[in-house]
Amino acid sequence: MSETLARPATLVGSRVPRVNDRKLLTGACRFVDDIDLPGMVHATVLRSPVAHGRLRSVDVSPVGDDPDVLLVLTPQEVAEATRPIPCVWVMPGQRQTSYPVAPIDVTRYVGEPLGLVVATSRAGAEDARDLIVIAVDELPAVGAPEAALGEEAPLLHPDWGTNVVVDIPRGDPGEVVTAAVDGSPHLVSMRFRIQRLSGNPVETRGLVAHWDSRTQELTVWLATQVPHHARDHLAETLGLPFDAVRVVAPDVGGGFGTKDHLYPDEIIVCLAAMRLDRPVKWIEDRNESFLASVQSREQIHEARLAFADDGRFVALHTDLLGDIGAHPSNVGAGPAFVATGMLEGPYKFDSAGGRLRCVLTNKTPTGAYRGFGMQQAAWVRERLVDEAARKLAIDPAEIRRRNMIRADELPYTTHHFQNYDSGDYVGALDRAAELIRTDAPHHEDGRRRGIGLSSYIEFTGLGPSRVQQLVNFRLGGYETAVVRMESDGTATVLTGVCSHGQGLETSLAQVAADQLGIPLEDVTVVFGDTATAPYSSTGTIASRSMAVGGGAVVRAAGRVQEKLMRAAAHMLEASPEDLEMQGRTIGVRGVPSSGIPVRELAEKVWLGWDLPEGMAPGLEERELHDPADISYSYATHAAAIAVDLETGEIEIERYVVAHDCGVIVNPMIVDGQIHGGVAQGLGGALLEDMVYDPEGNPLTTTFMDYLLPSSGEVPDVVVEHTEVPSPFIPGGMKGMGEGGTIAPAAAIGNALADAVPEIADLVTETPLSPSRVWTWIRQRLGGES
Amino acid sequence: MKPALFSYRDPRTLEEALELLAEHGDEASLLAGGQSLVPLLNLRLARPSVLIDVNRIPGLDGIEVREDRLRVGALVRAAGLERHTDVASALPVVREALRYVAHPQIRNRTTIGGNLAHADPAAELPAIVAALDGTVTLVSRGGQREVSWRDFFRGMLTTARRPDEMVAWVELPRPPGLRLTFLEVARRHGDFALAGACVGLSAENGTVADARIALIGVGGTPVRVPAAEESLIGGPLDAEGLREMEARVRDAAKPIDDVHASADYRRALVAVLARRGAAKLAEGSDA
Amino acid sequence: MKGETRLVSVTVNGRRHEAETEVRTLLSDFLRSELGYTGTHVGCEHGVCGACTVLLDGAAVRSCLLLAPQADGAEITTIEALASEGDLHPLQEAFHREHGLQCGFCTPGIVMAVLGESEAGRDLDEVVDDVLAGHLCRCTGYVNIRAAVRRAWPELTRR
Repeated sequence: MSETLARPATLVGSRVPRVNDRKLLTGACRFVDDIDLPGMVHATVLRSPVAHGRLRSVDVSPVGDDPDVLLVLTPQEVAEATRPIPCVWVMPGQRQTSYPVAPIDVTRYVGEPLGLVVATSRAGAEDARDLIVIAVDELPAVGAPEAALGEEAPLLHPDWGTNVVVDIPRGDPGEVVTAAVDGSPHLVSMRFRIQRLSGNPVETRGLVAHWDSRTQELTVWLATQVPHHARDHLAETLGLPFDAVRVVAPDVGGGFGTKDHLYPDEIIVCLAAMRLDRPVKWIEDRNESFLASVQSREQIHEARLAFADDGRFVALHTDLLGDIGAHPSNVGAGPAFVATGMLEGPYKFDSAGGRLRCVLTNKTPTGAYRGFGMQQAAWVRERLVDEAARKLAIDPAEIRRRNMIRADELPYTTHHFQNYDSGDYVGALDRAAELIRTDAPHHEDGRRRGIGLSSYIEFTGLGPSRVQQLVNFRLGGYETAVVRMESDGTATVLTGVCSHGQGLETSLAQVAADQLGIPLEDVTVVFGDTATAPYSSTGTIASRSMAVGGGAVVRAAGRVQEKLMRAAAHMLEASPEDLEMQGRTIGVRGVPSSGIPVRELAEKVWLGWDLPEGMAPGLEERELHDPADISYSYATHAAAIAVDLETGEIEIERYVVAHDCGVIVNPMIVDGQIHGGVAQGLGGALLEDMVYDPEGNPLTTTFMDYLLPSSGEVPDVVVEHTEVPSPFIPGGMKGMGEGGTIAPAAAIGNALADAVPEIADLVTETPLSPSRVWTWIRQRLGGES
Repeated sequence: MKPALFSYRDPRTLEEALELLAEHGDEASLLAGGQSLVPLLNLRLARPSVLIDVNRIPGLDGIEVREDRLRVGALVRAAGLERHTDVASALPVVREALRYVAHPQIRNRTTIGGNLAHADPAAELPAIVAALDGTVTLVSRGGQREVSWRDFFRGMLTTARRPDEMVAWVELPRPPGLRLTFLEVARRHGDFALAGACVGLSAENGTVADARIALIGVGGTPVRVPAAEESLIGGPLDAEGLREMEARVRDAAKPIDDVHASADYRRALVAVLARRGAAKLAEGSDA
Repeated sequence: MKGETRLVSVTVNGRRHEAETEVRTLLSDFLRSELGYTGTHVGCEHGVCGACTVLLDGAAVRSCLLLAPQADGAEITTIEALASEGDLHPLQEAFHREHGLQCGFCTPGIVMAVLGESEAGRDLDEVVDDVLAGHLCRCTGYVNIRAAVRRAWPELTRR
């Protein structure tokens, strides 16, 4: 049973303009690179130039006596002063569960941090870095996942005898799935490849680290999504007491998963600050970020969909090979786990399962990126569904309709133990199918046209703690909110989640203001500083800030409001049910003259004067919300495209989203999240590709080679919503931040296969670049054009 | 990253600049628009000892539209050339091609001389220069010389400019009756071309009198395709003629594979673009 | 290691500044670190993302592609100049109303580019199709940025 809001919502559900826009629009914001402390110096990171090699020496002597160079840290010095970083999400049987801050013997990817140079200027530090000689005996390197499995593959850890780091079954036992497949009259079997991506928020990573040697305290301003998590890991790796470390997230310019953990290079900068006793700033370069920040996505799926004559799905299976780079990152095989876990999407199967293997290669480790495995799952599943439809000559919307879990079948537990909560998946499908059709006439311009659908379920609101324990994601899944009504009648909301573009300053304020019954402008949301924010183990990831963080705010604000009303009732000698809030006063309903200002009331409560029997002073409530379960949002996307057969170019003529994320707090913000997610999804579908050669040498490390979508590549996305509330989140909200990225590749791929069915069986790999599409067209249609 | 150390000079006259080039040429880079050079400095891929900023030199930013040719000074900004109304009517293909050059913000700074001297194989302007048989005039302390486009573009990012020389202007002939168009395909709006074609045609008595086909993105330098041009001349410019031309363009193109596209794709693409350009001109629209 | 330096005089948002700096200092860093105008952000130093866009003698330019000495004697306008006496500039107001920003990191560059190119006489379609395409935003998906520019346009071109 969901906890509904205490009173009819007014701000929740409104397109409230954001409260923090002014400072961002006028340049009054403070991102980490805007921070300037007295005596501050600048670092640059020393990185491995080779994909695989034995480190012989790091010779810093050429730097000489340059007075502007203050410190050089070698890998040896770093290793001696730090403990390894623990992996946070560890799979059963995972061969590696931590990684060193810097390697001392073998380096395993180009860009691996080895040490640090600190100077009075960034340019000066780079000058010194250029002089340092890193002597490495190169070892054979492996740059692709299939090659990493090969008999003769170079091994990243020879003592393992393999590069496989995780190998686990998923879903139903293999024999069960095989039996179901064998018993079906029809089968579509395809090999899919999802390319490697680089997250690229427009603000790169960075920090300013300040060690106060008098108080023995480390303060770090860090561009992060997870201040407490970073604090904990900093304390652990540097051997400091937890309360001697303070992490502050300033204004943060986007994260998308790349800022969801503490990185080795960030730790090395903190170490330097402790050695130098001066604040040290390090800002990641863009070209550095391609190799230094976690990459993402790369997976190969050998997948099969078995179905009956009437299109009913019988079995779904995938053999997933994930390339997770040179070592498991903090989430390691997590995206592969979620890719299999969410593979079934919104459909029913008699059986579903798979095999999950992750392999190490000599490339940057992969980690979280918006969508976190669901995008790969959608690509595989939705393409299989369309090919099944094609085999039986059934309309793609119809085959989905026949197989979707119906609203009255929810809650529903999948073969991968996902407990889908509430919704109307068919409703979204029907709406998207309707919206994509337009009466606009087509010019006959020689291009082929097609429509593609992509339906998905989005795993949101990561928590609860017991689920995280079950899957060994070693963080607590709760969120805590402290809501305090000050003695002037305004309110402060302290939350453990922190905004990096998603507008929590506004949306959480809307939730609190509605609960408290006071105007929005009287509420301030505070976050990001571990010294004041309530502890958040998991932080701002996995579409959980509103569902889990917001749920805590609903409860805490509700309790403050309830206490306020009891105090008011006592003072007005009335019963709480007869009172109402009117802007900034509380009075008896229907008796206008009875009102007392909220601030007067709040002041009294904080003084402890005239309180009812048994009521303690103060108006501050702390609520911890450990959600009952994961929340599941959903949508169907549809794309209408035109394909130029001679050039392979795809133009998106129309793109629609029919979406449901439960109760919407701020529709403007939700739509913005969807637009941004779709843009990233289109980037992955058509443009982005983090390319390495077979020996692990990166080929795309600038914005000239790695292509992010610009305005010209993203059409005006049409978004419509329904709001089937969450049955157990206070307030009825679900999460939704990642959904936009999940569907686009499959929608475009399905549209391409619809437009050019001759190449349908080849549409298995992204990005759908003009060169690739043209090659497929040539293969099937022949000729030079 | 930040640039490596260099010495900075900003000469106020051409003579001063040429003196500096004579003295430092080998280890100097010329800074004009900076839109190509500064990223290379920032990546530490370019490490000149001396940076010669030529932006304050007067007299190199003139645009002269004459009956038979267009002369564009090396320091003319792309945005200025794009906006020039006389150029737009005299040689509309120039504006057409410039619209593909990056974005207005880049065009505000990038110079014509700098663009040509950088000689990116996928840059748009070299196609126009090649199609019109343009010439580049180089100056040094020792004098000046006029170099045909063919001799100027030597290879990828390589021109005939000697270390002690700088581009002074480019001249584009205006053959009477020749109409031109430019097409390219890029991954994103404003990106360098995957391949591009500048096509020019003039007609006399219903047949093709002059044909120009210049390609970019399919070799280290812009390429003319005489075999394809010849196949058009004297003919009626019909579908069959266009297909023949397309095939000859395909045969002449020698592109490479890279992360953005395969060689096979580029070869086919550039031929399609040449054909479409010719077809567009044949229909009578050239803008 | 200190390189060759120059005294650079610039007028920023109407205020004159003079500072000695290394000749290799990028204009973006000169404005941000030496003169304290941190509203202009740096996203790539490749000249691709556009976050660093400022107006140089009225023209929108990428400040990461200019060396500080090149700006000697120039008039520079940064995002800090736009809001006056507490009121947002119409372009800023439009971004606010249309939710054309999320994390805000790329926003100043886009606002300055639109401002500069509108003042240079480009028409609305050119600005939306061509100028905006020269900026990278990873948060908004551009839909609302285009809406913000269209919303502000009548006011922008009236001024």
